[in-house]
Amino acid sequence: MKRIRRLGGRVFLVAALACMAFGSAAAGAALKVGMVTDAGTIDDKSFNQGTWEGVLKAEKELGVQVKYLKPGGTTEADYLKEIGNLYDAGYRFIVTPGFKFETSIHKAQNKYPNGKFVLLDGTPHKGDYAPEVGENTVSIFFAEHEAGFMAGFASALQLKEGPVGFVGGMEIPPVQKFNWGFQQGVAFANERYGTKITMTPENFVYQGSFDNVAAGQQLAASMYDRGVRAIFAAAGGVGVGVINEAKTRAASGKEAWVIGVDVDQYAEGIYDGQKSIILTSAMKRIDQAAYDLIKTELEGKFPGGRTLIFNAANNGVGIPVRNPNLDEKTQRTADEIFAKLQAGGIVVAAEQKGLIK
Amino acid sequence: MEIWNIVAQIFPYAVAFTVPLLITSLGGLFSERSGVVNIGLEGLMVMGFFAAAVTVKGIEDLLPSGAIPIGLLAAALGGALFSLLHAFASINLNADQIISGTAINMMASAVTIYLARTFTGSGNIRIRTGILRRDIPWLADVPGLGPLLFSQTYWTTWLVLLLLAISWFLLYRTSFGLRLRACGEHPSSAASAGVNVYFMRYMGVTISGAFAGLGGGIILVTYSGEFNGSVAGLGFLALAALIFGQWKPLGVLGATLFFGFAATVANVSQVIPQLAVIPPLLLKSFPYVVTLAALVLFSRSSRAPRASGQPYYPGQG
Repeated sequence: MKRIRRLGGRVFLVAALACMAFGSAAAGAALKVGMVTDAGTIDDKSFNQGTWEGVLKAEKELGVQVKYLKPGGTTEADYLKEIGNLYDAGYRFIVTPGFKFETSIHKAQNKYPNGKFVLLDGTPHKGDYAPEVGENTVSIFFAEHEAGFMAGFASALQLKEGPVGFVGGMEIPPVQKFNWGFQQGVAFANERYGTKITMTPENFVYQGSFDNVAAGQQLAASMYDRGVRAIFAAAGGVGVGVINEAKTRAASGKEAWVIGVDVDQYAEGIYDGQKSIILTSAMKRIDQAAYDLIKTELEGKFPGGRTLIFNAANNGVGIPVRNPNLDEKTQRTADEIFAKLQAGGIVVAAEQKGLIK
Repeated sequence: MEIWNIVAQIFPYAVAFTVPLLITSLGGLFSERSGVVNIGLEGLMVMGFFAAAVTVKGIEDLLPSGAIPIGLLAAALGGALFSLLHAFASINLNADQIISGTAINMMASAVTIYLARTFTGSGNIRIRTGILRRDIPWLADVPGLGPLLFSQTYWTTWLVLLLLAISWFLLYRTSFGLRLRACGEHPSSAASAGVNVYFMRYMGVTISGAFAGLGGGIILVTYSGEFNGSVAGLGFLALAALIFGQWKPLGVLGATLFFGFAATVANVSQVIPQLAVIPPLLLKSFPYVVTLAALVLFSRSSRAPRASGQPYYPGQG
């Protein structure tokens, strides 16, 4: 009796081991994708969230294993520590959002030659801003000016006349490019489609930070008071103040539009039922970029050592597919222009020349 | 007249910015006048900010019109409850009030972010709409003052001004106020006259908590619209305004209005061509430079409550 029981136990053990072996074999096939977050939460409605959504999409559609870690601070050492933790846990494909990772990834790409790194919106360097993209790293940039162009164009077409404005955060290249593209988009609509949108220097400002909500609200209020109909807010927390001011105005029955940034901000502008003050949004498809790169790795085509630009041509930037506040004709024309932008029929400059700020 | 138009245009926004500062500073006044230094105002504001956000978010669909008043009530309650920690440490345990206040500040942002994530799954809590600004009927049309004071106002502004008036009355025209102030000047004399120093100090700190919490709640329902775990140093600014205003209700009103107006001018200067000629850095640093200068000038004749910051030991001389 005892013997049988022991035998039974042994069979069970073998079966269990077999199962485990099988299980680990299946898991071994799956790529482990890790992410380290930048300052802010995973649901920041911006870079972290966008990146993570792309990673989650890869989990669902491509069957990779995923995990994110949130560093204790925002120094190079904090980032490196979490990159190391992911690496040691077997997550050898690591995605990091934002330029703050530039020096950490530069160290990581040398320290972990078997790891693979994707740096969104930045390029690795050792602190001297001389790009050094390792063979195991891909650096990704976005053509913000093209996203700004599409948002400016669609907004101008929808509003037809009156002044528009811009509130930026810090005066740094990604924000500036949004602004410059936006102005070109508006000008393009004025020139080719007969709209009469005006742009004056006092309505194109950089607040100087990404977190001064009160200043965002006050800037927006002053602009709307002076007749501005729509404000393009590329300003993080300052933009929260802009959106809040527009919501307050819209809820009292006054016109006030905001053009969102980075992600489709329609839901953030809802003030009543389904009505939102977000006209459209100038999007960087961060999620798409993260997803695409994971896919290249699975297909064995990881473009290590290269710097990729996500732009209109590869669907990396643009405005949302659905914009409830744009009428059908505007949307259709915007889609046509986007196709032209993709084909290279329209070129948007990524520099200031002749524009406001 | 150009300048007048500009002032009239930005004044309502300056008032909106001033109000949370004013009520928080007034709260600090109660605490310090009772003899307890409260540098935890910043943390108490964050607590109220958070309590209001959770409450409004939770009930805005069920009770669209009642959500904001209830949210503000929750903010005051949240601030008052949280301030009890400071009261207990500094009144019962005779702890160093600066350290206790610092602890309040450090705890508030950590606790609220943690709770926010637990409740709503996000560190940021957005409410659908805040208070709508209104012109006061016919008063807004009065030439001169109308556009300044009675146009584009939030009802919370009037609430806070009412609280200011009540506070003044309470402090200077009632026995409660006299006792409270006595506890901040000479607690053992007050005790020998039969005043319960512990009770009065608890009242002072709790009122400061409620007012600072209300200040945080007002930020949410007026200009911010979203809880994000920080009130950007307004609590410390309120503390500076308290000193600048020499621990007097009207002084505090003047000091906070000065801050509010100067900060608003700095914020919107870029949009207004007539102001854009002044370097923004100059405008942004202006209120702080003036405060520093004022603190240095007044330091000799400063009227700080004499026992403020000192623990009270029954029977001390």
